[in-house]
Amino acid sequence: MMKVIQTQELYKIYNQGQENEVRAVNKVSLEISKGEFTAIVGPSGSGKTTLLNIIGGLDAPTSGKVIIDQTPIEELKENDLINFRLHSIGFVFQSYNLIPVLNARENVGFIMLLQGMAEDEINKRVTDLLKSVGLENQMEKRPTQMSGGQQQRVAVARALASKPKFILADEPTANLDSKSTGDLLDIMEHLNKTEGTTFVFSTHDQRVIDRAHRIITLEDGKIIDDVKVN
Amino acid sequence: MLLKLAWRNIWRNKKRSLITILSVLIAVFLALLMRSMQLGMYKHMIDNVVGSYTGYIQIHGKGYWDERSIDNAISNDKDFTAKIKNTKGVSAILPRLENFGLLSVGELTKAVSINGIVVEEEQKIQDLQGKLIAGSLFKNSGDMVIGKGIASYFKVGVNDTIVFMGQGYHGMLASGKFKVAGIVDLKNPTLNKLTVLMSLQAAQDLFSATGMVTSLVIDKNDNARLHKVQKEIQKKLDTSTYEVLNWEQMMPELQQTILADNVGGMLMIAILYMILIFGIFGTVLMMTQERQYEFGVLVAIGMKKKQLQLLVFIETIILSLTGVGLGVILAYPIMLWKHYYPFQFPGDQAKMMENYGFSAIDPFYIQADLPLAHALLIFSIALVVSLYPIYIIKKIKPIAAMRS
Ligand SMILES: Nc1ncnc2c1ncn2[C@@H]1O[C@H](COP(=O)(O)OP(=O)(O)OP(=O)(O)O)[C@@H](O)[C@H]1O
Ligand SMILES: [Mg+2]
Repeated sequence: MMKVIQTQELYKIYNQGQENEVRAVNKVSLEISKGEFTAIVGPSGSGKTTLLNIIGGLDAPTSGKVIIDQTPIEELKENDLINFRLHSIGFVFQSYNLIPVLNARENVGFIMLLQGMAEDEINKRVTDLLKSVGLENQMEKRPTQMSGGQQQRVAVARALASKPKFILADEPTANLDSKSTGDLLDIMEHLNKTEGTTFVFSTHDQRVIDRAHRIITLEDGKIIDDVKVN
Repeated sequence: MLLKLAWRNIWRNKKRSLITILSVLIAVFLALLMRSMQLGMYKHMIDNVVGSYTGYIQIHGKGYWDERSIDNAISNDKDFTAKIKNTKGVSAILPRLENFGLLSVGELTKAVSINGIVVEEEQKIQDLQGKLIAGSLFKNSGDMVIGKGIASYFKVGVNDTIVFMGQGYHGMLASGKFKVAGIVDLKNPTLNKLTVLMSLQAAQDLFSATGMVTSLVIDKNDNARLHKVQKEIQKKLDTSTYEVLNWEQMMPELQQTILADNVGGMLMIAILYMILIFGIFGTVLMMTQERQYEFGVLVAIGMKKKQLQLLVFIETIILSLTGVGLGVILAYPIMLWKHYYPFQFPGDQAKMMENYGFSAIDPFYIQADLPLAHALLIFSIALVVSLYPIYIIKKIKPIAAMRS
């Protein structure tokens, strides 16, 4: 299987050398292949967010390497890194983070506009994407007019819009009720099955963990368990 | 796409946008009215005194302006004037022969200034015909036209006779009887009490100064630059026998008054704009702070910092240009109104101004360069102010911004 994400001896150490030193990520080496549906789990403060941020190129590790589909991202300059995120990584955030002044269509289309895609191509793809997350009837609504679950589905559609190599989602269901959580996972799993989309998400929620195909458990920044379930 | 986004962001926080627009609007509105009033005043002063009497530039025999003696008269040679007329920016040359002397009617005498002029030339800068309040302009060499102050002093009317006595060129005796052909109102009490007009020919005969003038008054094209025209003329003359003075040199008090007043006005504008800068900066600061998180998200999902900076810049520009536009739209009708129906200055002030030689009104300045200059200024202020969010965006780290 092709490796999309590879980390080598990743460290993220806060307040290094001081009394209150925190090893948020402590020698993490992992590989995630194309098409995996992976949950990063662990107690609060175990380093899930920190690890995902580093993999997503939003945060720099203290040491170690992140290689995304053969690109060692620490070698990228700031602008190239932004561009890399735009084309290679889809982000889904805990608090949705849609652009408030844009409706669902425009939010999803925004990424493609940034990529410089042509208008009519964008329109077609936006419709397909919103259909695939079950929002064909909410396309003209702005974030404030949608429920949290609906917003998060728009966020998934937005993350998919750039045809990224994988989607990173830090606690995507933390703000959702159990029905919305179930719906979102159905959609993610469906996309994973039919399109082969690679998902890496962190979670606390046992119901979400139960849906993962691979579970990586962190504790104090270390991987203490890594299992595949089918 | 950025435009659409900017537009919607502006509408998102209506209150903040309104505050920004209003502060720009008020600043532009006040600045325009203040400057329009001041510049209008200056233009009025200059047009009144300079444009329609003194002229922008005069050529004299060297030393004439200080002494005002007819002995400094110069010859009004055709080739000489033709050469000057050729100068770029010069639109007319008016020959004048000016001298002082006494008028008398019965027991009354009065010191006056005799101005020998060529009516057809003079008409190019002042409408003498229009200033007539009785009679007509001179037809014969025995005719003179007098200011209305002189007429009321002597209690004379058209066709009455006045005697003149004085000294001519190089001490020659100058005297004669004249018929009042007309009475003019020069819109200036001092001039009205002093001015006597006659044909240049008549004045030359009276003062035994055949072919001579004391000044050649130069009128320039509206857009020609005063100092440049002056320099060009100077180049063509022998400056050891001639002097070429502009109105600022001929009337330094007027220029000083304008300069001093203008400094005050500029200071007010500077203060106004300082307040504006802080006003805009305050809202931009608030905006930047409030939107840190959003900026962080946008950079995280792949928006280039340059695009984000441009977005914020466009927003600032739209807001300030709207403010400028509305400010101009609101101020301009008032400026036009006050241009065509100007302020009349009250009592004492009016007298003082009339003594300076212009009517006591302030027609506002309405030329487009004024609002244009201020629009440009505000635009640059907006430009400078938006450097702050541009800098913040440059430094932004998505995860730090998204934690806030
Ligand atoms: N900027 C920072 N400075 C210092 N310590 C930090 C910083 N960010 C995170 N940490 C520490 O790093 C450790 C890992 O934090 P992280 O947010 O990655 O945990 P998490 O697993 O995502 O927790 P949660 O489940 O609560 O989201 C924690 O001990 C946290 O206090
Ligand atoms: Mg976390």
